[in-house]
Amino acid sequence: MTSREPRGVIQLIPDACTVCMICVQECPSWCIAIDSHHEEVSEEGARRPRTVSVLDRFTIDFGLCMYCGICVDVCPFDALEWQPQHDYPAATRSGLEHDTDRLASHGSS
Amino acid sequence: MTEVREVPLTEWLRALDQARAAGFAMLDLITAVDRIGVVEVVAVLTNPDTAQRCRLTTRVPADQLAVPSASSVLDGASWHERETAEMFGIIFTGHPDPRPLILREAPASGVPPLRKASALTERVAREWPGTPSGDDLRRARRPQLPPGVRDEWMSEREPA
Repeated sequence: MTSREPRGVIQLIPDACTVCMICVQECPSWCIAIDSHHEEVSEEGARRPRTVSVLDRFTIDFGLCMYCGICVDVCPFDALEWQPQHDYPAATRSGLEHDTDRLASHGSS
Repeated sequence: MTEVREVPLTEWLRALDQARAAGFAMLDLITAVDRIGVVEVVAVLTNPDTAQRCRLTTRVPADQLAVPSASSVLDGASWHERETAEMFGIIFTGHPDPRPLILREAPASGVPPLRKASALTERVAREWPGTPSGDDLRRARRPQLPPGVRDEWMSEREPA
């Protein structure tokens, strides 16, 4: 962790997320929520199908987030990244809850 | 570099005075940490010439929370001690003005708000988003409390 990190917003890279829940469990503000389900994947040559977790919804409530960056630090798959954008006001309380698509879009602008 | 010194309670004022005389003339803060059973009182002093810091701590048994007030040694200790007193339930003996500083009224539970026994109501009322579910729950050997949430808080929780 360096002080030069741009702590504007946290970007999610959904393809990298394995639904391990470590970020949710480590978050001191309880501002991350994950919905997921299990799917069986059959692979050729494998004796039985493998069960994988599939991400349905990932939300960060920036109204609760204290920008500590612990989630970014603990993610074993680098699915969370700091991005410099800081300009995301909302007219309602729930507008600060960013869902999967919104979180994923933070890296692109 | 911060110099750290743990001193016995009986040496508290002398240690603060010595640090001040050694150049750590500016009081940054006085606060406390609940170590459960023991409360650690912390003072951070800065040397304004070298910008070096010195952190002094002393341990006080939780059932006997009396600490001599540092306001006779360090100007500016008064407000820090008033805040520490109301937040941790410490009595600073000999304090010139021991009124509460921040809290309008004493907490209804009787537990000072920054003691570990003081339940965070939001943490009790809300379900932890990290609660294992489905397969993970079956795999978990016993229900696990979220970090920072204590058993005794949950006893008051309404059954779901």
